[in-house]
Amino acid sequence: MRNICFLILILLALPAGLWAQDSTPEAVEVTAPGNRQLKLAIETPRNLDPSSGSAVGAELSDVISFDLNMSGAIAAETRPQTFSASGNSLAETAFPLWAAAGFDLLVRGEYSVKGDNLTVEFRLFDVLNRKMMTARRYLGTTKDLRRFAHSFADEIMLVVTGEKGPFTTHIAYVSKRSGNKEIVIMDWDGHNLMQLTRNGSINLNPDFSPDGREIIFTSYKRGNPDLFKRALYNTIEVPISHRKGLNITGAWSPDGSKIALALSKDGNSEIYTIARDGSHPVRLTINPAIEVSPVWSPDGSQIAFVSDRLGKPQIFVMNADGGSVRRLTTSGAYNVNPRWSPKGDKIAYARQMSGGFQIFTINPDGTGDTQLTSTGSNENPAWSPDGRLLAFSSKRGGIEAIYVMRADGSGQTRVSQNKGNSSQPAWSSR
Amino acid sequence: MKREMITLLAALSMTALVSGGCANKEAVKTEEPAAATIKAEPVKAEPVKTEAAKPVQEPSSKIEENKIVPAKAAEPAATPAPETVLETVYFDFDKSDLTQDARNVLSKNAETLLKSMKDAKIKIEGNCDERGSAEYNLALGERRAKSAQQYLLTLGVQPDRLSIISYGKEKPAVDGHDEAAWAKNRRDDFVIVK
Repeated sequence: MRNICFLILILLALPAGLWAQDSTPEAVEVTAPGNRQLKLAIETPRNLDPSSGSAVGAELSDVISFDLNMSGAIAAETRPQTFSASGNSLAETAFPLWAAAGFDLLVRGEYSVKGDNLTVEFRLFDVLNRKMMTARRYLGTTKDLRRFAHSFADEIMLVVTGEKGPFTTHIAYVSKRSGNKEIVIMDWDGHNLMQLTRNGSINLNPDFSPDGREIIFTSYKRGNPDLFKRALYNTIEVPISHRKGLNITGAWSPDGSKIALALSKDGNSEIYTIARDGSHPVRLTINPAIEVSPVWSPDGSQIAFVSDRLGKPQIFVMNADGGSVRRLTTSGAYNVNPRWSPKGDKIAYARQMSGGFQIFTINPDGTGDTQLTSTGSNENPAWSPDGRLLAFSSKRGGIEAIYVMRADGSGQTRVSQNKGNSSQPAWSSR
Repeated sequence: MKREMITLLAALSMTALVSGGCANKEAVKTEEPAAATIKAEPVKAEPVKTEAAKPVQEPSSKIEENKIVPAKAAEPAATPAPETVLETVYFDFDKSDLTQDARNVLSKNAETLLKSMKDAKIKIEGNCDERGSAEYNLALGERRAKSAQQYLLTLGVQPDRLSIISYGKEKPAVDGHDEAAWAKNRRDDFVIVK
């Protein structure tokens, strides 16, 4: 993200435009054969200048492989340069051999490292139809290596499924690696960890703005749980709600114009919306119970939230103006942490059960309640922007860490690698 | 002058803590320097002092006890160092209503506030054990602080002497993942602000 100005993404001069157009319908056909998952081989990219950068090829192909396998849409394998030692063109690709090895798709690439500069080129081939489906060339520095590979994985997802992947996105979360709860940010797969806040206080519940440039979070840095806003790569933390009492669980509206949050300025914790600068508070709930954790439906028309108005915390849904409140979760004694999926079809949440919390998803009409996790204690689900993946925190490994899984609960994988407990993940937009 | 002393003591206790190295305490403590930094802001001077006051007491807790509460030293083992003057109030799991024990403690605290600490201003800090969700617990901790605040008000403590804050489950008094630890963490601490 910070290197964006160095990243020059070039559609390959000749073929890309052509292929992009006539390969898309082709690609849809490719996804069709039976119910079988598409098999994709990533041939280790060729080093054009073997005097340096020997490890680059393996890292590039590992990143693409990890991304695509986590997506669940494609089964990816890395392969050494087996069948051809020559260039990456259509004519030089040994399609019959790749087809015989059982692959539907093939990624070939080449790169060169000169000093800090890195150039990478990838091509995606349809093995059966012997066609190039897409190609990308990336110019930047060696720091951009993983980002280039993530970007091509996004592109493969676009060509194969019709929707871009979420692999160039980030996860912000609360980390105790410094001893205090500070907000940190990492690539979605756990790499490139960077600490955002350094105020030594307690910082909680980060949430990304829809454009991905800013986060809001609650901090005790001024002696009260206030809501702050900051740009990702700027250290200035602006207090936007420092009303008396709680200013917690802020959630940006999908259009970025408002923030829903819980305030206790009028006596007890209630749901409000405020403008993005913190002005114009509008109270949405009026109830002696606790109300926290508002989240917006992706169209901005509804808000899910937690309330203990019936005794224990449960998830409720209301219109974004506070009307038509209805209870969403009817099973389980203690349900919290709602997060609406980007497509609007599911709400993920955490349920307290014996031994801790587990992640569930439920349809917005209350049907289809499904348990996704069962190992350790798992909390605070957060959707990837394409809705294929969920990040969450888990204590299963002793230390609390950030994990990612597919929306059906498969593929649960630890991604955060830092020391100290990690909690409350938020997934950035694309 | 006074402020300098507090800063100095805070710094000293920080040093002590760094060498001490208990994970949980460290988490709580490291907040103080942040609050101290904010000291420059005139508006928020009071909460700052609260924070600074705790580490001051910790290393010299014996002296404090002798000085201020000669009569009241019979503190239950539950709260070790920090607030020796006003007793901590404990709550049942997921509850914010006051038990009979809690009412008794609050009555004693009210007496202290009305007789021997007539000028003191108090911040009531509501806390939860680790089991609930962090977000819900912020609100639950506030409810606990409010319960104690209400009770002290009915016992005649002047409203302008009482403020509240919730730390949810972010500031446990003790480490540990069993009922013994949880019971000590579901509490209201009373911190002297002035």
